[in-house]
Amino acid sequence: MFSYSLDTAADEWSDRTRDPALSRSDSDLSRWKRIGAGAVGGALVAFGLGRRSLGGAAIALVGGWMAYRAVGARSEGSTGAETVAESITIGKPADELSEFARDAANLNRLVGPFADVTALEADRHRWTVHESPDQRLSWETRLVEDRPGDRLRWEPADGTALIDGWSMSFRPAPGDRGTEVTLEVGFAPPGGSLGTAVIEKLDVVPESLVGGVLDRFKSLAETGEIPTTEGNPSARGRGDLL
Amino acid sequence: MRALTWHGEKDVRVDEVPKPEIVNPTDAIVEITATAICGSDLHLYNGKMPSMREGDVLGHEPMGEVVEVGSEVETLERGDRVVVPFTISCGSCWFCETEQYSLCDNSNPNAEMARKMMGHSPAGLFGYSHMLGGYAGGQAEYLRVPYADVGPINVDSGLPDEQVLFLSDVFPTGYMAAENADIEEEDTVAVWGCGPVGQFAIQSAWMLGAGRVVAIDRVQERLEMARSHGDSETIDYENEDVYDRLMAMTGGRGPDRCIDAVGTEAHGTGLDGMSDRVKTGLKLQDDRPYVLREAIKCCRKGGTLSVPGVYLGRTNIPFGSVMNKALTVKTGQTHMQRYLDPLLETIEDGEIDPSFILTHRADLEDGPDLYETFNEKDDECIKVMLTP
Repeated sequence: MFSYSLDTAADEWSDRTRDPALSRSDSDLSRWKRIGAGAVGGALVAFGLGRRSLGGAAIALVGGWMAYRAVGARSEGSTGAETVAESITIGKPADELSEFARDAANLNRLVGPFADVTALEADRHRWTVHESPDQRLSWETRLVEDRPGDRLRWEPADGTALIDGWSMSFRPAPGDRGTEVTLEVGFAPPGGSLGTAVIEKLDVVPESLVGGVLDRFKSLAETGEIPTTEGNPSARGRGDLL
Repeated sequence: MRALTWHGEKDVRVDEVPKPEIVNPTDAIVEITATAICGSDLHLYNGKMPSMREGDVLGHEPMGEVVEVGSEVETLERGDRVVVPFTISCGSCWFCETEQYSLCDNSNPNAEMARKMMGHSPAGLFGYSHMLGGYAGGQAEYLRVPYADVGPINVDSGLPDEQVLFLSDVFPTGYMAAENADIEEEDTVAVWGCGPVGQFAIQSAWMLGAGRVVAIDRVQERLEMARSHGDSETIDYENEDVYDRLMAMTGGRGPDRCIDAVGTEAHGTGLDGMSDRVKTGLKLQDDRPYVLREAIKCCRKGGTLSVPGVYLGRTNIPFGSVMNKALTVKTGQTHMQRYLDPLLETIEDGEIDPSFILTHRADLEDGPDLYETFNEKDDECIKVMLTP
């Protein structure tokens, strides 16, 4: 049965949101994978956990569905293929947002520390995952659907892709709330030893990645900046996650 | 710089930490001249709040002088004297535009963590755990303030720090608590907890037209303050049954409006209080909602329950009573920016002098001792102001 401490979960969370430049080499990501992406949620829901571990009964109360999903994900086989879709409401018109999202430099900011996105041509980008073994995790994407203000979809054209589809849909939100943006990402780690390395070593939790991209999209569109604790002072030094 | 930092349960230290710098173009750096310890800081001090990390800088009730501004800051300049509200709000999202500043969509860099916890992320806060932003707090010599055009309020009226400092949190929080209580003419308002938020809720209840205010606590100097400064009738819950006394005072109706200014770490009495302590000890619940239960029981049918008190997670309350008695519950972190201007005006007009709650003034270096004093309610401590 699952057993973890909140502190561990919080540490692992921090590992996940860490600037790669500050990454600790000793973080136990395989353990993370074993627990599943929901564990942090489960642990955090189990408030007041302090330094004790959480028993199965408490999980059943507060984080059961997350634990269940973690088990489910584990038993789906070892390919790690998964499609994640999340939505956010952004207080800007759909046309403006889809135009913003088409631009490789903007996509690069939205994707955050996970990968670099560079433009090859207007509808062709190159993605390179940070920290991937030998930079081998790099692929070209093509814009295969291009309906401004409605839907954009990119698919990998060549290379070793971790993401086999990236779709953004836009539809007007009710009242004065702007646009509902849905990001759907298909994750398909490559097979073989590289795939294993990716799953074991690369710090990718699909839901967190998708949620983070949407948060950054919203903040950039609405405020022109991404909230950050970069350089944040603490007794650990400078930078939030040292 | 020097800063008060969290190192674990009942372990706050003064550490040397890096000085904050401008990161985003709307940031400002404020040199802190006065900063307070809040009752909600005690939840951190007592290790109740998850996602704290050793070395985090504490504090969310600061004021000071602007020493640096980012390239896009328009309303502040170097040398401005500001009070910094504890909520961080972008000013642009739908929630900020509808004056629900503590629900800001954009200010929490760790929104994903909060979503996992609660379904959605509220605004980031200064010095209040990584789940709620991870921002360094204001019990320090300097503070980085994001969205500087939206949060801080300029104070140029020459009022001393101690008279305006509590605009950073407890005065607006007490005021919003009273506003949330939907007070109508001649209403009886019961306030559980006579700490700083409770005292300001009492003051605000009168401002909003209450006919009668009843204050509940067990700490004598706090009850005395509620009587002498707040014109309240008081109940010492250690010496009498709160429900019986409130029913006797209101002809069996119960108070029209109930305010829980205690929150998650209530000290209950009798079996109920013991049960809360056991359950939180066993991690079967996260809060000790003794006050919430009592307020639900006491509130008149169709009345309002206003909850400024901080709650953390899963808690055991008789929701059947809420439903069958048709109570309205209103709560939330304070929408600070909504209140800063009007409340500053009440101070400048001499309608209220918030410094009445202040009992302890000290240097930042004395912070760790004063956390303990405040937590234990020793030395008749009600509110602490620290000077870096």
